[in-house]
Amino acid sequence: MNLFFLLQIDWNKYRPENLFGGQVLERTPAGLSIVFIIGVGILIGFLIITFFDNFSRPRFVFEQNLPREVTRKLTQTIANRSIRVWQFVFILLAFTVFGFQVYWTYFADDSNEQFQALAYKDLRTRRTTASNLRGWMLDRTGNLGASLAYYKVNGDGEIDRTFSLEKEMAHLLGTERGTPGLERTLYKMDSDPMPEAWEILTKYKKPEPEKKDVRITIDRDLQAYVAKQLEGKKGGIVVINPQTGDVLAMYSNPSYNLTEAGTLEGYLKLEADKENKPLLNRATREFYIPGSTFKTFTMISAFRAGRTDLTFPGRPAPDCYTPFRGSKPICDAGGSCHACAENIPLREAYKVSSNQYFAQLANALGRDRLAETARILGITPTETAEEALEQGNFPDFWNASNRRISNAISPARSTIVTGKSLTLFDFGQEGMGQGMAGQMTPFQMALIASAPANLQGRLMKPKIEADVQPQMFAQVLTPQQAAVMREIMSTVTEESGGTGGRVKAKLAGTGIVSGGKTGTAEKDNVPAYDKNGRRITVKKRKKGENGEWIEYQETVMRRRTDGWFICIAPLENPQLAIAVVIEDIGGGYGGTTAAPIAADVILKARELGLLGDKYKPKMPAISPKPKKKVR
Amino acid sequence: MVLIVFLATISHYAIYYGGLIRGYETSWFTAIRNIGLLGLLAVLPIFLKRFAKFEGNWTVYTSAVLLFSIGLTVQYRLFSDPEYVSRKDKAEARQQKIKTLQLHYIQENYSAEKKQMMGLLATPPSPVDLSLETPRPATDDSLSSVLFSGKTINPLLGIFGLIAAFFLLRRDKFLELLQKNGFLIVLLTLAPLIIAAITSRAGKSIGNMTPWEPAKIPFLIGFAAILAVLYKNLARTYWGVPRAKDVLPLVFMAILPFVPFFVLKDFGQMMVFSGVYATLYLIAVRRFSQRFVLVGSVLVMVGILVVGALPEKTQEKIPLLPTLARPVKQVLPDRIQQRFHLWLDGFNPPTPETTWWKEDYDDYYKKLVEKDPNLPQMLEEDPDLQRTINIDAWFDVLAFQPAQATFGLASGGTTGRGLGLGYPELIPVADSDYIFAALAEELGLFGGLLLTFALIVFVSAGIRTALDSRDMFSKLCCIGLAAFIGFQALVNIGGITRALPMTGITLPFVSHGGFSLITSFVMLGMLMAFSHRNAVDRRQNNAHALP
Repeated sequence: MNLFFLLQIDWNKYRPENLFGGQVLERTPAGLSIVFIIGVGILIGFLIITFFDNFSRPRFVFEQNLPREVTRKLTQTIANRSIRVWQFVFILLAFTVFGFQVYWTYFADDSNEQFQALAYKDLRTRRTTASNLRGWMLDRTGNLGASLAYYKVNGDGEIDRTFSLEKEMAHLLGTERGTPGLERTLYKMDSDPMPEAWEILTKYKKPEPEKKDVRITIDRDLQAYVAKQLEGKKGGIVVINPQTGDVLAMYSNPSYNLTEAGTLEGYLKLEADKENKPLLNRATREFYIPGSTFKTFTMISAFRAGRTDLTFPGRPAPDCYTPFRGSKPICDAGGSCHACAENIPLREAYKVSSNQYFAQLANALGRDRLAETARILGITPTETAEEALEQGNFPDFWNASNRRISNAISPARSTIVTGKSLTLFDFGQEGMGQGMAGQMTPFQMALIASAPANLQGRLMKPKIEADVQPQMFAQVLTPQQAAVMREIMSTVTEESGGTGGRVKAKLAGTGIVSGGKTGTAEKDNVPAYDKNGRRITVKKRKKGENGEWIEYQETVMRRRTDGWFICIAPLENPQLAIAVVIEDIGGGYGGTTAAPIAADVILKARELGLLGDKYKPKMPAISPKPKKKVR
Repeated sequence: MVLIVFLATISHYAIYYGGLIRGYETSWFTAIRNIGLLGLLAVLPIFLKRFAKFEGNWTVYTSAVLLFSIGLTVQYRLFSDPEYVSRKDKAEARQQKIKTLQLHYIQENYSAEKKQMMGLLATPPSPVDLSLETPRPATDDSLSSVLFSGKTINPLLGIFGLIAAFFLLRRDKFLELLQKNGFLIVLLTLAPLIIAAITSRAGKSIGNMTPWEPAKIPFLIGFAAILAVLYKNLARTYWGVPRAKDVLPLVFMAILPFVPFFVLKDFGQMMVFSGVYATLYLIAVRRFSQRFVLVGSVLVMVGILVVGALPEKTQEKIPLLPTLARPVKQVLPDRIQQRFHLWLDGFNPPTPETTWWKEDYDDYYKKLVEKDPNLPQMLEEDPDLQRTINIDAWFDVLAFQPAQATFGLASGGTTGRGLGLGYPELIPVADSDYIFAALAEELGLFGGLLLTFALIVFVSAGIRTALDSRDMFSKLCCIGLAAFIGFQALVNIGGITRALPMTGITLPFVSHGGFSLITSFVMLGMLMAFSHRNAVDRRQNNAHALP
C-alpha cells in the first residue's frame, strides 16, 4: 500500500536539476554542494551536542552521595589536568591553522603584494579565459556576414578564432604576445569569471543574454581594397570620416599573418626583419617627413590668426627666399620658383605648392601661433629638437569606451619644434613641412586634413567603435573658414596647374569634387639593404686614441623619397579624409604615386555608398576594376 | 550514519552533474563503490554492538567516518576528472573540457545565423539540455577494475584492521603483553624499517607508497609502555636530577624512531612524532622543571631551524642574523632548506645560484635552450631576462604545486566554487598531500571549517577516552593515538595554508592513501577498544559498588 503511494509521486519533479532550476547548469552542483555543506554542518553540530551529552561523566555509584568538592578531586589527577590543557592547546592550534586559510581567501588579495603580482601564474584564470569566448567583431555594416573576427569550427572539430581580413587588419587586431591590439582590448571582461557557489545560486538565475559583439567603424570591403592598393609597396593609408571621426580603413604595408605571429619562432622572425619592419604599424607609429602636405597645417594656422590676406614674393634662384643675411635660400622644388611674382596670394601659393610662400608665412605668423595650432591639432610643440625626438604615444586622441583601447591603437606622438633657438631658416623649413617637422605620422596628417573637412571646422576625435557617440577634439576653424579652406584645397586637384591633377582625371564623370594636397619628401640617412635583407656596410678605418688605425663597419646610408597625398571628398560635404604615404618612390612625386591611390579609394568608397546616396553609382558594384585604367 | 550516506550521495551526484557540464561522465561504479563503503561503515556499529558487545562511545567512530566520507567525495571529484587522471593526454582532456564549455555557451547565446556561419547546426539560442548530450565515458568504467583497485581494497583492509585491533586490544592479556614488551616491539619494527629506508627514494618507495606508516603504532605503544613504567621514578630526584637509569631508556626510546625517518627524509613524520612524544612526556611527567626542560629545548631547536632557513633577504634586515644562520644553513639538508623557503618566501624565487635550486634551474634552462638556441645570446644582451626565466622556472618546477594550491585556496572563497565546478585538477597529486587544497577550493572556508571541527571532535573524543582511562599505559596510548591523528592533520593542513612548511604527509581519513589509511583505521579501532574497556571497567566498578 505504501509502495503504491510512492509510485504515484512524480519523482522527476524532485530531481536536483529541477529543484535548483536547470536554466543555468552550474546551479545544480552549486546548490547540491551547499546542501552538502549544510548537512555536514548539522551533523557536526549534532556530534558536538551528543559529545557533551555523553561525556558529562557518568558518576560511579559510590560517588553519588559524596559532596561535590570531593568528587571533583577524585578525577583531577595531574595527568588528566595536563590532558585538558593539551586539548585546549590543540583546539587553539587547529583554529590558528584555519585562520591561515581565512587569510588566503580574504586578505591575501588585498594585502599580499607578491600574491597579487603573481596572480597571472594562476592557471585557473587561463582556464576561464580559454573557456569564455570573445565576442565577434563586426564591420560598420553590422552584418554577421561581414564579420571581421569570429569563431568557426575547423576540420578537426575545434573552435577557432578566425579573421576574415587576417593580413589586412593585422596591425589593428594585434598579436596575442606583442603589443596588444583590438583583439585583446575591445571586449568587455566578464565581471566575475569565477563565482562562488552561493553567488551562482543567488545571482545567476537565468543565462545572461549575450552582449559581447562589437561593431567597429572599419568597412570590410574598403579595408580589403586599401590593402590591395598598397601591395608591393611600403607605406600606410588612413581613411577617416571627418564629420564623425569614424576610422573607415587603416592599413600599413608590409603586414603579417596573425597565425604566424602567434608562434614564438614566427614572432621572432617578424621582429628580426629590420628592413621591412612588418610588425610596425606605419599608419600610426612611424614618423615621416610630411613635405608639402604640411602646408595645410601652416594654412590652418594662418586662418586661425586671421592672416589669410598675406602675400609674399616668390623669386627665382639663386636668391629665392633668404630669411636672413648669409642664410641658405629656401627655393621651390626644382630650385627656382613655381609662382614667380612679387605678391603671391595664399590660394595661388597653396595650389602650386610654393615653398617660398609658406616659409615666409610661417615666419610671419611666428612660433607661438604655430605652437598653438599644433596643440589644437594634437601635435606636441617642443622647445628643442632633442625633446621632439623623444618617443611616446598619444592615446588622448581616441574617442574610445575605455582607456585600454585607446592605448592599444594610439598613434605615436607627433611633434614640431617651436623653440626660440630655431633660426628663421629652420622655422621657415618647418612651415613648408621639411626639417624639424619630420615627426609626423600618416594618422596625424589625416587628422590635419579632417579639420577643415568638417563642416563645423571641428577636429573630431577618431573612433573605432561604431556605437560610441562622436566627440570633438577641438574647434579648429569657424565653419566659414573651413568652407574657404576646402575651396582652396580643391584648387590642387580641380584647377589646371594644381599638383594633384591626377585625381580629377580619375574622378571624372562621377560628379565628385575633391580637395587635397600633395607632398614629396626626401629623407636622408636611411640604412641601405641588399637583396637578402641585410644591411649594406663598408669597411672603414679611423684613427684611435693612440694614433693606431681601427677598422670598423659602417652602414651605408642613402636618401629615400616618400610620396604623400592628403585629401578630402566630396568637397561640399566631405565624408572622407585620406592620408596616403608611399615610401621610396624613386624619382616620382606625391602627385603621381600617392594621389592616384587616394582617388581609387574615393571611387571604391563611392561604390560602397560611403559618400552618401547622392554619389552612389546607378549600377552598383559591377566593375570596380576598369576604372583603374582611366588615366 | 544514515545521514552521512545520504550526504555522500548528494555530493557524488553534484560531482556527476559538474562532470556533465564539462562534457565527461563520472564513473557510476566508483560512486556506488564509495556509497557502499560508507554503507558498510554505517552498518558496522550494529554488528559491533550485537556480536562484540561494544559498550564504548561512538563519537570517535562517527567523526572518523564523517572525515572519511568527505575524503571519498573529494577523491571522487578528482579521480573522475579525465584531465587529472590521464598522464599522457592531459592537454587533450583539457582541450575537450574547454570545448564543451564553449559549445554550451554557443548553444545558449548564439543566434541561428551565427551558428550556421560557424559551421554548426543552425538552431535558435536555447538552454542546454544535458540529457540530450553524449558525454565522454568515464575512464575506468568496468566493474572489476573498480572493485579490485587499491581504492576499494585499502579501505576494506582498513575496516578489517579496525575490527582486528578492536578485538585484540579488548583483551586484558594482550594489553599486558604489549606493555611488558614495549622495548622489544620497538626493536622489532625498527629492523624492517631500516631496510625500507635503505631501499627508498625521496621519502617514498614502491610507487608513492609509505610502507613504514603502520610503524607509528608499535613506536607509540613502546614509548607509552616505557613512560608508564618510568614516570613515577622520574619524579624522584637526587640533588634535583632524576636517576640516569630512569632517564636514559626514555631518551633512547624517544630517539629511536627518529633515526629511520631521518634517513628516509620524512620530516613530516618527524614533526608529528616529536609533537606526540612531547605530548606524552608533558602529560606523564609531574615536575614543572622537567617539563620546562623539554619545552625549552624544543623551542630552541625550532628557533635554530627557522633562523637557519629564513630567506636571505629577511636575514639581512636583522643585524647579526646572517652570521648566526650561516653554520646552521650549511648543516641543514637541501630538502629542508627548500621546504622552508617555500614556506616563508614561496612567491619569491631564490637566485639561480642557490645550492638546492641550481640543479633544477639548470635543467629548466637547458630545455629552454634546446627550444630556442638564441637564448644565451639574448641573455647576454638583456640581464633582466634571467630574472624572468628564473621566475618561470620556479613556478613551473618547485613552486608549481604549492602555488597552485594557494591560488586554489584563495579562489574558493566562503562557500567554495561548488563540487565539480572548481579547478582542483590543476594541482598535481591533489588526492593525497594536497587534498585539503582541493577541498577548500570546491567547498570553501565552510568546508575547511567543518573539517577542522570534525577533527576537533575526533581528538576531543579521544581525549575523553584518555581521561576516563584508569591506568597510565592506556591513558598514554589513547592520548597518543588522538595526538597522532590530530597532529598529522594539523601538519598537513598547516603545510597547505602555509602556516607550517609543507612536509608531504597525508590528511588522516581524508587523503587517498594505502598504508596511511589502514593505519588510521587501526588507530581508530584501538581508540574504540580503549573506550570499550573504560565502559566495561565502569560497569564492573558500579556492579561491585552496588551490593
